[in-house]
Amino acid sequence: MDDSTPPPPPPAAAEPPPPPTTSGSPTDFLKGVVGKRVVVRLTSGVDYRGILSCLDGYMNIALEQTEEHVNGRVTNRYGDAFIRGNNVLYISAAEPL
Amino acid sequence: MLIFSVFKTLTDQTVSVELKNDLSITGTLKSVDQFLNIRLDNIKVQDEARHPHMMAVKNCFIRGSVVRYVQLPAEHVDTQLLEDATRRETAVQKR
Amino acid sequence: MDASSSGIQEPFDLIRLSLSERVFVKLRGDRELTGVLHAYDGHMNLILSDVEETIMIVDQVEGAPEGHATVNVAKRKMEMLFVRGDGVILVSPPSRT
Repeated sequence: MDDSTPPPPPPAAAEPPPPPTTSGSPTDFLKGVVGKRVVVRLTSGVDYRGILSCLDGYMNIALEQTEEHVNGRVTNRYGDAFIRGNNVLYISAAEPL
Repeated sequence: MLIFSVFKTLTDQTVSVELKNDLSITGTLKSVDQFLNIRLDNIKVQDEARHPHMMAVKNCFIRGSVVRYVQLPAEHVDTQLLEDATRRETAVQKR
Repeated sequence: MDASSSGIQEPFDLIRLSLSERVFVKLRGDRELTGVLHAYDGHMNLILSDVEETIMIVDQVEGAPEGHATVNVAKRKMEMLFVRGDGVILVSPPSRT
């Protein structure tokens, strides 16, 4: 595809005192990115860049200040956006955690 | 469950069901179940020329999962009631 | 999980706060809707009134480079509409700024 951000890191191996978010389980990752800038890629290839307000167990996602990117171009902006979880391919942190 | 109830209140009303394959069928809503499967009577297919095989069909059962839209008779939908019922249902779901 | 600003704890809160408001809905099959939201459930089945549907019909021009397709748009209006949740990609409430 294009050169945007990579998918979330795989869960790191057991490490006695897990430093917050940089390693650990997928759940730890998700907890760590709430409130941060993220890229949400859908299975259709469309990207949404915004601030992750919250998410649930279905990967339904609420984003703020969202930009929709199609083929690297901004195609829409939303103040708030709810994304239905079944469309989500990955969530990627777009700033250091 | 809420949407199921809404459809139940609309039985014997005329609705238009648009399927994911773009076929649109108008008919009398005879029944609906929890999967939102729908039974229609006295059906009429929009754009019959494109779907000649449907001309002789008078009633049908539509599997809920193939539905894209259902156009509802607005005069039989109480929007205030719907909003209140939706708020109530989401309040219950929040343990 | 604390919301960053607007007191949203789960994605569906975003939708609940949009009841009786005009929302934008992006659907599978290059379709978009705007309409007033009256009901929804956990599948994102929706009931909207005063709906305008926009269907994007992309005509890939023969021999034209990628991304140089002409987009035709078809619009239609519907008074009261049930939308099956499995087709929903994104719902955006009116901007509350």
